[in-house]
Amino acid sequence: MTGLSRRNLLRHSTAAGLTTTMSLQGLAPALSQQGEQLLVVMWGAAWIEVCRRIAEAYVAKTGDKIAWELHAGGAMAIVAKIKPVWPRVNYNLISGWDPVFRAMIKEDWVLPVSLDEMPALKDIPPIFFQKNANGELMSVPLSTSGAFWGYRTDLVDKPIESVEQLLEPQFKGKICVPFPVNLTGLLMLTLAVQRGGNERNIDPGWQFLKELASRGQIGRVFNNNSEFIDTMSSGETSVSFFNLGAWTQVRKRFPVKLLNRLKDNKGFLFNEGFAVIKNDDPKKVAAAKRFANHFATPEICEQYNWPLGEGPTNPKSKPNPEVADALYQPDELAQYAYIADFEYMSSQVDAWAKRWEQEIAPLIRRA
Amino acid sequence: MSALQRALLAPGLLILVGLVIAPIALMAVESFRPFVGGRVGAAGGWTFENYTELIAPAYAFYFWDTFRIGFIVSAAAVGLSTPLAWQAARTRLRIVRVSIFGLLISLLFLSLIAKLYAIQMTWGPSGPLAFFGALIGVPVRSPGYAEVLVFIGLLHFVLPLAALMLIGTFQNINPRLEEAASSLGAPRWRVAMSVTLPLALPGLLSTFMIVFAMCISNFVVPLILGRGVILFTTNLMYTRFSDVANYPSGAAIGVIMLVLSCSMVYAIAGMARRVAQGRG
Repeated sequence: MTGLSRRNLLRHSTAAGLTTTMSLQGLAPALSQQGEQLLVVMWGAAWIEVCRRIAEAYVAKTGDKIAWELHAGGAMAIVAKIKPVWPRVNYNLISGWDPVFRAMIKEDWVLPVSLDEMPALKDIPPIFFQKNANGELMSVPLSTSGAFWGYRTDLVDKPIESVEQLLEPQFKGKICVPFPVNLTGLLMLTLAVQRGGNERNIDPGWQFLKELASRGQIGRVFNNNSEFIDTMSSGETSVSFFNLGAWTQVRKRFPVKLLNRLKDNKGFLFNEGFAVIKNDDPKKVAAAKRFANHFATPEICEQYNWPLGEGPTNPKSKPNPEVADALYQPDELAQYAYIADFEYMSSQVDAWAKRWEQEIAPLIRRA
Repeated sequence: MSALQRALLAPGLLILVGLVIAPIALMAVESFRPFVGGRVGAAGGWTFENYTELIAPAYAFYFWDTFRIGFIVSAAAVGLSTPLAWQAARTRLRIVRVSIFGLLISLLFLSLIAKLYAIQMTWGPSGPLAFFGALIGVPVRSPGYAEVLVFIGLLHFVLPLAALMLIGTFQNINPRLEEAASSLGAPRWRVAMSVTLPLALPGLLSTFMIVFAMCISNFVVPLILGRGVILFTTNLMYTRFSDVANYPSGAAIGVIMLVLSCSMVYAIAGMARRVAQGRG
């Protein structure tokens, strides 16, 4: 009779334990290859399209899974979205640009990155990085871009050589401008620069904006890349001031002249990229840094920026020759480029938005 | 109220307090907090500044615009949906009733975003029906035309719902009253004016109230069709909450809208009650 004895019980238990351990050990490598699930916030339109293509190959190689969430409007909106729920936030990487990074660094939501853990960053010039008070690198810059005036040459009779021309009657209803909070108020800054001002002396810009609004020159005020691309592509408007990436999408289908080498105005430069968001799970943080590092490698940085028409921050990446005219040579920077104090401008955006509502929007309505 | 009634009411009241009243109360508290530019959310302390800055004449213009456009669209929606609803309630032909119901319900199911972009592509400055602007004497690139598009978009949004609500109103009116008036020699228009509409008035006012609330609280229609030149108070709130992270100022606008809207609803409801009591 094979009864249940202590010897049998011990023998069977040991065998079962060994079997389980061995099968789990066999399972562990398979589990580790499954990768991490990341949630990444990205802009829509061409940005998400190129990111999905890059991510597809990355996911196949690494086993990590990437879920995307789109920015609603400007990138700064994500800051307002995160604030009420922090730290219960699932985002691992957030795409943004300089003012957004500064806002998130100020709120202490961002993890520093190092050249040791993200070797692709070694190629990127240090000036492109956002840093915290301790000098730590806090952003993963992928694109160098700018905001410029431009127009569709097929819809404008005479070439534009100065922003002052926009007051002429032929541009009535033909100009589209971003909301003041978009581009952190760069619209006000470019108009202020036109009239001899700067970010700390912005009143000349408001005066110019009032003249444009009261004459009925402004046909649309847009919120995001998609609206800009729609209004310029449909021909509803023909002149605007916005970021290079959005201009590139319009330039793919229509003839556009970018006014980034004006005698009496500037091109306003900034960088875009990723911020690595704090997370309790070190594996997710490591996976997020791996993914961001992948974007910073020469090949992928080139692949990312090519369709966007923005300049890759990695010098080993080739920029798209179609936007060569938009990018400055080093000796042109002093004459044509302007790097704004985004930290100061971020502190003024609320006041500027209210001033727009009180002084400019009523003029546009009455024009 | 018996203990059983109180027990049955309790879950609903808890949900009402937790999901509706508590957030509104928190919003009201937030509206008295100060905001520091460049920060996210409220700073410490208390202030009335979020309300005093709204005294500027420009803001009265936004409130006026929101209520004015909402009122016009609501009146148009009730006016246009009344004959449609009456026909659906009174027709003896099943195919007509089913078609009207089908049309209204399918319009409700169709995504609002899709409808708005279709309106923009069709009636917008570059669309095939852009000549409509010239017909009504409004240049297509002008803010006036953007207002026309917002009007069309809001009407598209509320008209199906208004019609569906009014179908019930007309079904509750005994058709024999209309038949009696006809048999005494009243023409159809006289029957409508002296029998049908007076009896339907409380329902018409209630529908107007609901549609009006939907119009003034709408955010998407002015955002997409307004071209950034037609701004409702909801758009101002969105800018503050989402773009600038100035929660206190956005909350202040929300509280003012709540007070104004409740006042209007109370006034209209009072009117509807007086009409019902006058007839009774």
